[in-house]
Amino acid sequence: MKPLNQKAERVQQAAAEDKMDEVRAMQTVTAGCATTFDPGWEVDPFGGVAALCQPMEADLYGCTDPCWWPAQVPDTTINHKSWDDGADNAARDWRSLGAAYPKDAET
Amino acid sequence: MKTIMTAVVLALAGTLPALAGDLLLTTARPSNLYVFDAATRSLKNDCDLGSNMLPGITVMSPDNSVAFVLVNNWEDVIGVNIETCEKVFHARQSSEDIIRRSIASFAVSKDGTQLYTVRNPVRKHSDRFEVLPTEFAVFDISAGLGAEPVALFDAPRRSTLMATDRKGSVYIAGHDIYRVDPATGDTEVAIANASWDRPTYSPPDVLAFWPTGSQNDEFLLMYTAAVFSDESQQELADFVWGYESVNLTTGETEIADFTSFEVLMFSAVRSATDPKHLYGVYTQLSKHNLETNELVKRVDLPHTYYVINVSSDGKELYVGGTNDDIGIYDSETLERVGEIRMPSGGDMGVSTVHVIPQG
Repeated sequence: MKPLNQKAERVQQAAAEDKMDEVRAMQTVTAGCATTFDPGWEVDPFGGVAALCQPMEADLYGCTDPCWWPAQVPDTTINHKSWDDGADNAARDWRSLGAAYPKDAET
Repeated sequence: MKTIMTAVVLALAGTLPALAGDLLLTTARPSNLYVFDAATRSLKNDCDLGSNMLPGITVMSPDNSVAFVLVNNWEDVIGVNIETCEKVFHARQSSEDIIRRSIASFAVSKDGTQLYTVRNPVRKHSDRFEVLPTEFAVFDISAGLGAEPVALFDAPRRSTLMATDRKGSVYIAGHDIYRVDPATGDTEVAIANASWDRPTYSPPDVLAFWPTGSQNDEFLLMYTAAVFSDESQQELADFVWGYESVNLTTGETEIADFTSFEVLMFSAVRSATDPKHLYGVYTQLSKHNLETNELVKRVDLPHTYYVINVSSDGKELYVGGTNDDIGIYDSETLERVGEIRMPSGGDMGVSTVHVIPQG
């Protein structure tokens, strides 16, 4: 079995180091503003995807506004406030949402 | 600022709406505060907030004449007269070197004189951010457009939704549901969550973003928690939904499980006309009987909605947030009987849907 992303790689590493007690599966944390700044989750609380927001666009601004998906979309709270300018309807305008890049001074 | 008296919307399926005489109030991108006539599904007023409306979470004044909206990326609270669209209040919480954001945490006193926020200050240094102690801030609403705190107290970290009762207390949803005396800042636990004494339960998870509940005069939140077969917490017995509520007239509290955790729900509401039923929403709309813990009915929705409210007569449910529409459902059959689309076509995100009784 090969990890598909860094998070999975860390889980594999924890298993190898006998530290699985320190691994907490995010799908047991369904919701909660105490976890507003969590890194997002790829599965729903039941281990699947059926209980994620439907369609995904319904959740886009609801999650970016509170910085809930900082790993998946640009941070619109502090650094990229205009990322979604002119794209007021996520289901209609998602194609105009681009990538964000560091400014020259930040590279 | 503009006022539009244009009817926009359509009633689906030809079903006549409930004659509750309610107004519906919400916010949507890019910077709109909308007031709709619930009976005719038509637009009554469109106010330009004059600001980035994010997140657009809204709290009403006690007389429902002013909508207080959290805007400018969670930093400012503005008050807007919903008939004239005049901005009558503005609390700019950040200063030159300190950002202060309120994560849905603000409320208005029941006498309409004070507004409270819990705000999270971060000082901007040239090379780093410095997290400062969380503050409970008291504003006099009469200060108008240049409102500054008249009192500051320490506040619990990781706070979200707030509410006020008719005895003058302020409630904050955080690790626990706290009760605060806004005159002194004295804080106590009103409903234990993270500190609850339930040895066979995991700590609860509570999502608190939608300040509804005015229809039943309550501060209503839901929690999920794992329930184990014994105190060793080794064997999972169930995963449950529960509700917790503060009666905003008496200050009395209640907390109880009501069903197993089968679907997600982001917010819930009860009607004063039928408080034994709780309606929860997310990708499904669910109706639960809190006396029998029975799931009365559940229907799939055309898309996910975050927030739910109920008409004054208890006959209609309004689901909103996320996309650009408010779905209207019969509270008895859970049949979709209408919808209202945002005239701007903008998403509502985590905004609120308030029901304002008329007459």
